[in-house]
Amino acid sequence: MTLFLSFARSLPLPGRIGLFLVCFWLLAALAGPLLAPYAVGAFVDYDVFSPMSGKFWLGSDYLGRDVLSRLLWGARYTVFLGLGAALLASVTGTSLALVAAVHKGWVDEVVSRTMDTLISIPSKVFALVMVAAFGSSLWLLLLIAAVTYVPGNFRIARAIALDLAAMDYVTFARAQGETPIRIALGEILPNMLHPLLADLGLRFVFIVLLLSGLSFLGLGVQPPHADLGSLVRENISGITEGAPAIIAPALAIATLTVGANLLIHALKKGKTA
Amino acid sequence: MSGGGFSRRTALAGGLAGAGLLAFGRAQDVLAVPRRGGSIRVATQSSSTADTLDPAKASVSTDYVRIGMVYEGLTTPDANLRPVPALAESLESRDRQTWIVKLRRGVTFHDGGDFTADDVVFSLLRHKDPATASKLAGIAAEFASVRASGRHEVTIRLAAPNADLPAILSQPQFAIVRKGDIHPRGNGTGPFRVRHFQPGVRTVGERFADYWMPGRPYLDRIELIAIPDEVSRVNALLAGDCQMINAVNPRSIRRIEASGSHRVMATPSGLYTDLIMRADAAPTGNPHFVEAIKHLIDRPLVKRALFRGHATIGNDQPIPPFHPYYNPNIPQTTLDLDRARWHIAKAGLKGVRVPLYCSPAAEGSVDMASIIQEFGAQAGLELAVNRVPADGYWSTHWMRHPMTFGNVNPRPTADLLFSQFYKSNGDWNETGWKNERFDRLLADARSQPDEALRKEIYGEMQRIVHDKAGTAIPVFISLIDGYDKRIKGLHPIPLGAFMGYRFSQHVWLDA
Amino acid sequence: MAGAFPQFARKAPRGASVILHLVGRRAASALLTLLLVSIVVFTISGLLPGDAAQETLGQSATPAQVAALRHEMGLDRPGPVRYVQWLGGILRADPGQSLVANMPVRDIIAERLPNSLMLAGFTAVIAVPLALAMGIAAAVHRGGKVDRVLSLATLSMVAVPEFLVATLGVLVFSVKLLWLPSIALVSSEASLGDTIRSCALPVMTLTFVVVAQMARMTRAAMIAQLDAGYVEMAELKGVPFGRIVLWHVMPNAIGPIVNAAALSLSYLLGGAIIVETIFNFPGLASLMVNAVTSRDMPLLQSCAMIFCAAYLLLVLIADVVAILSNPRQRA
Repeated sequence: MTLFLSFARSLPLPGRIGLFLVCFWLLAALAGPLLAPYAVGAFVDYDVFSPMSGKFWLGSDYLGRDVLSRLLWGARYTVFLGLGAALLASVTGTSLALVAAVHKGWVDEVVSRTMDTLISIPSKVFALVMVAAFGSSLWLLLLIAAVTYVPGNFRIARAIALDLAAMDYVTFARAQGETPIRIALGEILPNMLHPLLADLGLRFVFIVLLLSGLSFLGLGVQPPHADLGSLVRENISGITEGAPAIIAPALAIATLTVGANLLIHALKKGKTA
Repeated sequence: MSGGGFSRRTALAGGLAGAGLLAFGRAQDVLAVPRRGGSIRVATQSSSTADTLDPAKASVSTDYVRIGMVYEGLTTPDANLRPVPALAESLESRDRQTWIVKLRRGVTFHDGGDFTADDVVFSLLRHKDPATASKLAGIAAEFASVRASGRHEVTIRLAAPNADLPAILSQPQFAIVRKGDIHPRGNGTGPFRVRHFQPGVRTVGERFADYWMPGRPYLDRIELIAIPDEVSRVNALLAGDCQMINAVNPRSIRRIEASGSHRVMATPSGLYTDLIMRADAAPTGNPHFVEAIKHLIDRPLVKRALFRGHATIGNDQPIPPFHPYYNPNIPQTTLDLDRARWHIAKAGLKGVRVPLYCSPAAEGSVDMASIIQEFGAQAGLELAVNRVPADGYWSTHWMRHPMTFGNVNPRPTADLLFSQFYKSNGDWNETGWKNERFDRLLADARSQPDEALRKEIYGEMQRIVHDKAGTAIPVFISLIDGYDKRIKGLHPIPLGAFMGYRFSQHVWLDA
Repeated sequence: MAGAFPQFARKAPRGASVILHLVGRRAASALLTLLLVSIVVFTISGLLPGDAAQETLGQSATPAQVAALRHEMGLDRPGPVRYVQWLGGILRADPGQSLVANMPVRDIIAERLPNSLMLAGFTAVIAVPLALAMGIAAAVHRGGKVDRVLSLATLSMVAVPEFLVATLGVLVFSVKLLWLPSIALVSSEASLGDTIRSCALPVMTLTFVVVAQMARMTRAAMIAQLDAGYVEMAELKGVPFGRIVLWHVMPNAIGPIVNAAALSLSYLLGGAIIVETIFNFPGLASLMVNAVTSRDMPLLQSCAMIFCAAYLLLVLIADVVAILSNPRQRA
């Protein structure tokens, strides 16, 4: 705990705000469903799009369900899907990049062309095809989001890895007869971690937004649950009356992504300084 | 001929007078004098590269509107779902098997050609050719022969008697094309001729000066586009970028009316989204399960929450209360958790997990599924809702799992509904049930000349479906159109949006 | 690959030869990538439930009708045969016939491609200079007030879902103020002014989406260079700061910037699906979705080819610009 506090204190103000927001949403994702006052699918309000009240802290949604409860559940889906997919994308992309950077030649060519192939198929069309083919499930959404962002991570990781691979100490290690795996994991990877962490954060933000885009196309989480983007989407007709049902999840996405960004930014600065 | 046959005959011989009256349907419009000129843009909810100018292939609302602008059928439905003559002057039959159709004279196609019996024969028989890929091939199979018995007279002989032929011919797919047009590209007799047609983008129709109805149409030009996203569609109406839209979400009505310069038209219709429980699968084949589900639906909640009241409560049979053949004596099924629990226990299904497939393709089904799931949980039944994309829903999910949702558009006759969706060997016998008595009654009703007896037969069929079939029909959905209030001459026809898609010849634009 | 252009390689100066070499190599790998894309598209679309015949006939199809139409569309032949046939057509520059629209794929694409290019073009013309300006301004004033404001602005831009931006734009500018059309009515008859007005809101939304990422990359690349030793040296020599930024920093920073711009711009073609849906814009992305839902294989393949080619071309341009602008790489 003291470690955490001293870490927090070491950050500049925007970083602290970011850390707070990220922790807030992590907590909401972990504990939210326990705190939810109503069941996620329960029709509790006779009226729809009702304003904030003591009974419904964030009003009711387009079907008369409690927005707060749905938001707390939605945060869980968005945060964990986003984190999971971002991690998966980064690990996959970086591993491929290391393979490409160490082997170069035709291995690099094949991996790079495969990545070009993936990146040039529009992600939402890809998602549409996958969901139509395999039916929507959490694992599939995770996979789609990850696959979509593997090429981006690969490009960055490969560029860094190639730079590092050309460094003297790597050439030296190679001359010493180190195996490619040892070079990749022992010499190159440790020096990539930092920029990759920043990239991971960015991927997370993109994935949260991709998920909300997918929910626009009707490809989100299964009902009665909904991720934050789906909550915005399903309540969009409340936008003209300024219903909390749409403002709350939109704000949730905004604070989550802005928070993550601020934190990453601060981390980057803290380390380079 | 007696009874119903007589009334049918007079209605059909009413001719021009009947059609002319249509324009003055709305009370406040009776005094208004239609004005010539003006151009409007109309937006429907779907459009794709599959958009067509071939009536036989028409399948979505945008197609129906386009076909209704460019072509005409022999008959057209009126506000009470009765067929009135259009390109036919009269349809007569003594035995309801051989029909003599007298055609309107002095009608010309857009290319200047004369409309004759040969065009009708060609247009009707092309549905029997598999290469046409007609949506109504099944119905057209009942045309035993169609031949010209004069330059302006056609004789249609059916395979079996069917009193509903005039209504059947009012379907948009049976619109008349020019003889020899294997791939029709817009040469019809309708009020508008095709100026531009880009599938998936737009259709522009301009006034056909030689249209047979004097003074019609009133508008100079109609541009038809589609805006799939409902919020965008309403915004486009309010921003003045289009003047008529369909498929308005009930939640948007308040916005449209608040604008002051727009109105909505709600058309109570026979459209419904039904929960299908397959008779040939487990556990849905168990009558106790079906009964339990029917008692787990909070119909007033569906009506209120999903449709903001713009729906008519249904009773698990497909004939809506405003239909002439509706049977009012069937007790209404209501939400009854105790009864549902009892049936679930009887079926031995307590705590069992049953998958339920829903999709945006079947309007309202995702939210209906949420509602049934919620009450199911209260009664000890775990329904696993699977929302699947609209894409591919009809070919891969509909009727293919024990529990799916269907979506049935209004049909011009009770016979069509029952024979397509409930007959043992119907094309889309959704639940796969088989009821011999029902099948026999269906055949009886078709050849029954007496209207009162027909109504009685249809009444009993409704009761059988209500009691035994595995379809839950929570509500009939009203169709809601939004329009610029300068548009006059609109009134609801329960078969579809935009006056059953045939507004183009009736509406005018007030200055 | 240089062997393909020996005479050029010998005569041309060093910079041009590097570029020619690059273009030649890329052209070869582009062909490989396009082939891969077509195989991937064909394979995954084969996983889709239903086919064009079923989707055309829709909910009301009977098995006999489906079989007849399937035969007419040639769908009763095995998949690999259809693929090879399609590939043969493409090699002869004939993308085939749309299964659903009953017209050549070329004609359908020809209607939509100019629209998409126009939308992407307008957006690029606005977004790229805007992003550069924002990025450079933030970098030059790094840590200062301008930087913080711009950083907050770009952060909030990426924090709002695209469809919400578009909907809000319509509500404010079309419904409330009646300034701009709520739907994009692009047609051959529309005047240039109308077309620009029609594109205003879609362009605004897309700008919102792509500008933030580009601005942040620009800032990062600029800062990396501003912190380099040679800038300090130049400053000590008394070179005006504006000159340093334009003449010394920009050329070195441009590599990563154009790369980020290329990635963002490639999004404008295929990724514009949400904007195309909301504004009813007749572009390629919605055409591709349409091709997926109607299982129109030739149309789908052509869209995928175009998006892939556009992406590869943009990346190539970015690399060429990077080489040309960077004196060290040129030398």
